[in-house]
Amino acid sequence: MAWLLMIAVMIGSSPASAELLIRITEGADSAIPVAVVPFSESGDMPSGDKISSIVRDDLTMTGEFRPLSAEKMLSLPSKGDEVYFRDWRLLGQRYVLVGQLTRKGDRVEARYELFDVNREERVMGATASSSVNSTRSLAHHISDRVYEAITGVPGAFSTKLAYITLERSGGESMYRLQVSDVDGKRARVRLESDEPILSPAWSPDARKLAYVSFETGKPAIYIHELATGDRTRIADYPGLNSAPAWSDDGRSLLVTLSKDGNAEIYKLDIESGSLKRLTNHWSIDTEATWDHTGDGFFFTSDRSGGPQVYHKSSEDASPRRITFGSRYNARPRPDNDGKYVYYVHQRDGSFHIARTDLRTEEETVLTRTGSDESPSLAPNGRMLIYATKQSGNSVLTVIAADGGAAYSLPASQGDVREPAWSPIAR
Amino acid sequence: MRGHERDVTSAGQPPWKSPVVLSVLMHGLILGVALAGWSWSTPREDPQPPSISARLVTQNEPEPSPVTEPVDQPDRDEERRQEEEERQRQQEEEERRQAAAEEEQREQEEARRIQQEREREQERQRQEEAAEREREEQRQAEEEAARQKAEAEAKERERQKAEEEKRRQEEAARKAEEEKRRAEEQRRQEEAERKAREEEERLEAERKRKERERRLKEQQLEALADESEQQRQSEERQRREAAAAKAREAQMLSESQKYQALIRERLSQAWYPPSSATEEMTARLQITLLPTGELESVKLVSTSGNTAFDNSALGAVKSLSRYPIPDDRDTFERYFRQFTIEFNPRRLR
Amino acid sequence: MNMTTQHKALALIFSLGLIAGCSSTGDTTEGADSGSDVSAVDQDGGSTVYGGDDEDGVSSSEMTEEQRQAAEERAERAEEQAMREITTFYFDFDTAEIKSEAREVLVAHARYLQNNPDQDVRIEGHADERGTKEYNLALGERRANAIERFLIVNGASRGQTETISYGEEKPAEMESNESAWAQNRRVELVFQ
Repeated sequence: MAWLLMIAVMIGSSPASAELLIRITEGADSAIPVAVVPFSESGDMPSGDKISSIVRDDLTMTGEFRPLSAEKMLSLPSKGDEVYFRDWRLLGQRYVLVGQLTRKGDRVEARYELFDVNREERVMGATASSSVNSTRSLAHHISDRVYEAITGVPGAFSTKLAYITLERSGGESMYRLQVSDVDGKRARVRLESDEPILSPAWSPDARKLAYVSFETGKPAIYIHELATGDRTRIADYPGLNSAPAWSDDGRSLLVTLSKDGNAEIYKLDIESGSLKRLTNHWSIDTEATWDHTGDGFFFTSDRSGGPQVYHKSSEDASPRRITFGSRYNARPRPDNDGKYVYYVHQRDGSFHIARTDLRTEEETVLTRTGSDESPSLAPNGRMLIYATKQSGNSVLTVIAADGGAAYSLPASQGDVREPAWSPIAR
Repeated sequence: MRGHERDVTSAGQPPWKSPVVLSVLMHGLILGVALAGWSWSTPREDPQPPSISARLVTQNEPEPSPVTEPVDQPDRDEERRQEEEERQRQQEEEERRQAAAEEEQREQEEARRIQQEREREQERQRQEEAAEREREEQRQAEEEAARQKAEAEAKERERQKAEEEKRRQEEAARKAEEEKRRAEEQRRQEEAERKAREEEERLEAERKRKERERRLKEQQLEALADESEQQRQSEERQRREAAAAKAREAQMLSESQKYQALIRERLSQAWYPPSSATEEMTARLQITLLPTGELESVKLVSTSGNTAFDNSALGAVKSLSRYPIPDDRDTFERYFRQFTIEFNPRRLR
Repeated sequence: MNMTTQHKALALIFSLGLIAGCSSTGDTTEGADSGSDVSAVDQDGGSTVYGGDDEDGVSSSEMTEEQRQAAEERAERAEEQAMREITTFYFDFDTAEIKSEAREVLVAHARYLQNNPDQDVRIEGHADERGTKEYNLALGERRANAIERFLIVNGASRGQTETISYGEEKPAEMESNESAWAQNRRVELVFQ
C-alpha cells in the first residue's frame, strides 16, 4: 500500500502558542534502513548460514526493515567502541547491529549490541547462546530482541509454521503435514497421507496441532502431540469433521460437523468429547475461531446467500454480519487485540486477503496476488502468512499485517498450503 | 492570522465609540448636568428673608409661592426670576409710598400740636394779662397775693419750663426715636436691597456657573468628539500600518510555509514509525536551529508514552543534517529559530 | 415423465455415444467439452452402450407383439443403463442446485437403486479450488446431500447411500481456468 504524505500545518492562533508547529502524520514510504554487521567469530563455527545473515533475512521478512548489504559497509565493527556513527549516518542507516560469536564447548555464545545511529545511543546489548547445531534458534532469538528494541513489539521469529504440502505424481497424491521455522527452514514432516490432510491448528502452548485427515477414507479431526508424535482422533462423526480451532485455554476446539444435517459449529470438549452446538441454521456455518475475548467467535456462513464473515459475541448471541465488501468473504482470522479480522475476500473474480477494522468497519484488501487463501496471523500481529498461486503451484507468502512488503517462503516441491503460524511458545 | 484578528477589531468600532451611542451619551450628560444643577440650587433658593416675609404678612401681601416644585425646564427659571424682580420692584415702590404717607401724617400732627401749643400760649398770655390787670388793681391789697402769685407764676413758669423742657426732651426723644426708626427703616430697606442684590448676584452667579458648566461640558464633549476623531484617525493609521505589516507577514508566512512544507517532506521521509505506533500516539519535539539550518538542540516536550515511538521521532529529527530554512533572516527568526514538530500517525498501514 | 424429452435425450446420448466410441481409444477422461452439459461427460459410457446392443441386436429378424414389447423393454433398459453410465453431475459456482439435464439421469440411478436394494452408492461432493478449503468441504457436502436427497425422493433408500465431501482436494482437472473449475464442481456417484 502506498504511503500518502498527508501533513497538516498549524500556526497557533493565540499568541501564547505562536510558535510554529509542524505536524508529521505519515512516515517514510520505505522500510527502516538497518545495518546488520557480520558478527566476528572466534573458534570453530558450524557450517551453514551465518547468524547475521539469518537475522538480516528475518528483519527483511517483516517488510519493516531494509538491511544494508555487507559489501556496502564502510567498516565491520563487532563491538560498540568500533562503531562510528558518522559512517553509518553517511550510509543512511538508522540502526547498526554488531556482535561477536564465541565457541564455548558445544555451544555458541553471541554478544551483540544495537545502536541508534541518529541518536548516537546504544539501544540494547545482550548475550545469548545455543547449542552448536541450533544456531538458527540463536539467530532468530537475536532477531526477536532487535525487532522488539526498535519497534516496541515482540518479535515472532522464534515461532513455528505448520503447513500442508501436496505432491501429485502419476495420479498419486501425497499429503504431508510439516512444521518449520518461520523462514521455512528446518522443515520436518509430521504426518504423511495419500488422502487429504487439512486445517492444521496450533494449540495455545504451541505443542500440539489439531487437523483434519481423510486417512480412514473419511474426514476426522485429530490432535497431534508434536514432541511425541502421539495422535488422538477427537472427532469422527458422520459427514463433515472439519475446521478445528483451539480455545485459549487449550481445553476445547471449535469444530464444524454436519452430523445433524448440515455444516454447523460445535464446541468440542477435548477431555470429555462432549459437544455443544453453537450455530443452528440451514446454511453452511464453518471456519470458526474464537475472538480475542474468548467469549465470542467469528465464523463463515452463507446464510445471506454467499459466504460472509459473521461474529457471535457469545456462544448464544445472535450472529452479526461483519463483511459486506463483496459476495465472497470467508475464513476469518482475528488479531489478538480485537482490532482487525482478516479473511479471504473475492473481488473481480480473484481471491485476496483482506481485513476489516472492527471499529470503523473499513475493509482493506491486503494482497495483490490472486487465488490467495488461508491467512494466518503472526502471534505479534505484525505479519501475516497466506497461501497463493505461483506458476501453478501453491506457495506461502509473508506480508506485513497492514499489507506491506511481501516475502515468499522458499517453495518445496509441489503445493504448499494452509500455513498456520504458531503462538509464541510458553 | 493574528493580523486578521486585529483587523477585525479595528474595522468594527467598539460599541462606546459608535456615533449613536455617543449622542445618546451626550444627551444623557446634559440631562444629568441639568438635574444635578437643580438638585444643588433648590435648597438654597427657597427661604425668603424672614423680615420681609413677616412684613409682607402684616401687609396682607399675597404670600409668594414657595419654589418647591423641582421643575426642570430651564426657561421657567428665567420666568421665575423676572417675577421675583417685578415683585421686588413693586414692594419697594409700595414701601416708598408708605414712607411718604407716614411722613405727611407726622408733619400734620406736628403742625396741629404746634397750633394747639400756640393757642394754649395765647390763652395763657391772655390769662396772665387779665391777672396783671387784676394785680394792678389789687396790687396794693394784694401784695402778698401778688407775691404769692409771682411765686406761683414763677413756679408755674418753672413748671411750664420744666414741662416744656420735658416736652422738648420728649420731642427730642421722639425725634430721635423717629430718627432711629427711620434709620432702622433705612437700614432694613438697605438690608432688603442688599439681600435682593445679593440674591440677584447669587442667581447671576448661579446662572454664570451653570453657563460655565454647560460650556465646560460642551468643551468636554467637543474634546471627547475630538478625541474619538483622533482615535479614529489613529486607528485608521494603525490599520494601514497593520495592513502593511500583514502584507509583510503574509510574505513571511508564505515564505515560511514553503519551508515548512520542505521540512515536513524531509521529516516524513526520515520518520519510521515503529510497528507499535497507533494513531493515538503523539510525540512533540521542540527544535532549535542555528541560522545555518543545523540542529542546535531538540527537546522532547510531550511524550507519546511509547519509547520506541518517541525514539523514532527523535531519530527522524536528528537524521536531518541540515534543515531547509529561508534565506530571509527575519523569517528564519520568526518561524524557524525555534519550533515544534508533532509526530502523530494518521493513517497507519 | 415426458416421453418426447426422454426420446430426445435417448437419441442424443446414443449419437454422442457413437461419436465418443469412435473417437476415443481407451484414454477417455480427456477431451471432454467444457462443462455443464451432461452429454459432454463421456466417461467410457459410449462403448459400454454399444456392447449391450451387440448382445441383443443380432438375431432379431421379425418382431412379434411379444418380441416388440420385449424389444421396448430392452430398449428402455438399455436407455436407462445408458443413462446410468453418467455418474458425474455438475454445479455452478457456490451452488448445490441440480441442473435440469441431470435429473433424468439421476432418476434412472434412483430406479436402479430401487430395483437393486443390495446396491450401495457413495456420493462424493467436490468443489473447485476457488474459495476457502473448509467452506468448499461444506459446499461439496451440500452438493452431495442434494444429490442424495434427489435419489431418495426418486426411489433409493437411505441405507443405500453414503455421502462424503472432498471439497477442493480431489479435482478432476488440474488446470486453473474456467473450464477446469466447471469440471471440478461436481458430485460423483460411486457404486459399490
